[in-house]
Amino acid sequence: MPLSDSARTRYQRHLALPEVGSAGQEKLAAARVLVVGAGGLGSPAALYLAAAGCGTLGLLDGDRVELSNLQRQVLFATADLGRSKAEAGGEHLARLNPEIRVIAHPLELRAANAREILSGYDLVLDGTDRLSARYLINDACVLLRRPLVSAAIHRFEGQLLTYLPGRGPCYRCAFPQGAGAAVASCAEAGVLGVLPGVLGTLQATEAIKLIIGAGEPLSGRLLTYDALEMRFSEFRIARRPDCAVCGEAPSITELRDAAPEPAPGGVRRLSATGLRELLAQGAAPLLVDVREVHEFSAGHLEGSVNIPLGELPQRLGELAGRAAPVFICRSGGRSLAACQLALRAQVSAPANLEGGLLAWAAQVDPRLPVL
Amino acid sequence: MGCTVRIASPLRSYTASAATLAGRGRTLAEVLAHLEQRCPGLRFRMIDEQNRIRPHMRLFVNADQALELSAPVRDGDTVHVVCALSGG
Repeated sequence: MPLSDSARTRYQRHLALPEVGSAGQEKLAAARVLVVGAGGLGSPAALYLAAAGCGTLGLLDGDRVELSNLQRQVLFATADLGRSKAEAGGEHLARLNPEIRVIAHPLELRAANAREILSGYDLVLDGTDRLSARYLINDACVLLRRPLVSAAIHRFEGQLLTYLPGRGPCYRCAFPQGAGAAVASCAEAGVLGVLPGVLGTLQATEAIKLIIGAGEPLSGRLLTYDALEMRFSEFRIARRPDCAVCGEAPSITELRDAAPEPAPGGVRRLSATGLRELLAQGAAPLLVDVREVHEFSAGHLEGSVNIPLGELPQRLGELAGRAAPVFICRSGGRSLAACQLALRAQVSAPANLEGGLLAWAAQVDPRLPVL
Repeated sequence: MGCTVRIASPLRSYTASAATLAGRGRTLAEVLAHLEQRCPGLRFRMIDEQNRIRPHMRLFVNADQALELSAPVRDGDTVHVVCALSGG
């Protein structure tokens, strides 16, 4: 559809670019883009897509605006506190550009609704804050053959990659499996407020390029950004023939919800010196050593009980009524998995001894033998 | 002369917050073993009990992904440790 006079004025700076021009602006007007997650990433991405004249812009988020969001989620104002992010954000976008159609989806994306919702869009931006959602969105985009621009952030660091159906690797090719609680959330680890501004704006850039067909998409490449060092890096990512969803014999042919992840903040991180101080203060937390029996026999913390990780699911009853157990292993990996198991079993406030007994031996007691 | 190792931010609690470490070794396995001496526990966050790179961790030698610990590392190379991030 030809651009109106008002649109010609609004998008004049785009029209002046040969790479965009009237044809590109009309493609933008015809585009249907879904932004999943109206958070730090989704805010700038949606704002720029709305300003750019993306004709149909969906904003999906089931959360409400909280005060701690406003440090980075620039789609909202203080007056929006308590409101649905999708609805408040959608209103803001519509005010920014009344010439586009904004659709608010105030809900959480699930396997049961993802196919129907994503089917209404040509392109998806992932700005969610949970790995389970990232895999669901990726799988839906692969199955529905929708391009996906995915970004993620942590503290001062961000990542970006673009999936093009049939042309390049998907998110699962890059990261076949999530880290679960091994990577702290923004709430736990903190995040520089402006960081998602950088990554979300890059997502919008990729989306606009894909819509108008200009430039080189970030397909087959993982872009990382380190704000502290002001360094962008780029890595080649290949499509995996054994990818569970886009590979040659995919095991994922229908959408499914991932097993519930532990709530953010559910796992406490305890350093070796922190545990020493805790014990010195007279606290007597249940110390659960999840190494194998022979490792435990070689040396362990006084008072700890041995429940090898493989036996933990069957022996979680032994933790009943014991709040805040501390899980211990050699270097902190198995104990983190134990914390996740404990959380799913409703054990309260499990802690992970970071770095495990190796850290304990290095920082507290070098006499402790650790296999 | 050795290599440079760049550490993903979620793992910097093992490196006293250092983003970059000096590495040594002719293969990725040797570089990680050398790192482990200075940063106990770091290797296990990247490599599982079966000596496989954990699926949420990606290791690159310069810009190319290393799929095996036998991947060669040469003087002057940069090993990048990249972790799947989830924040939004």
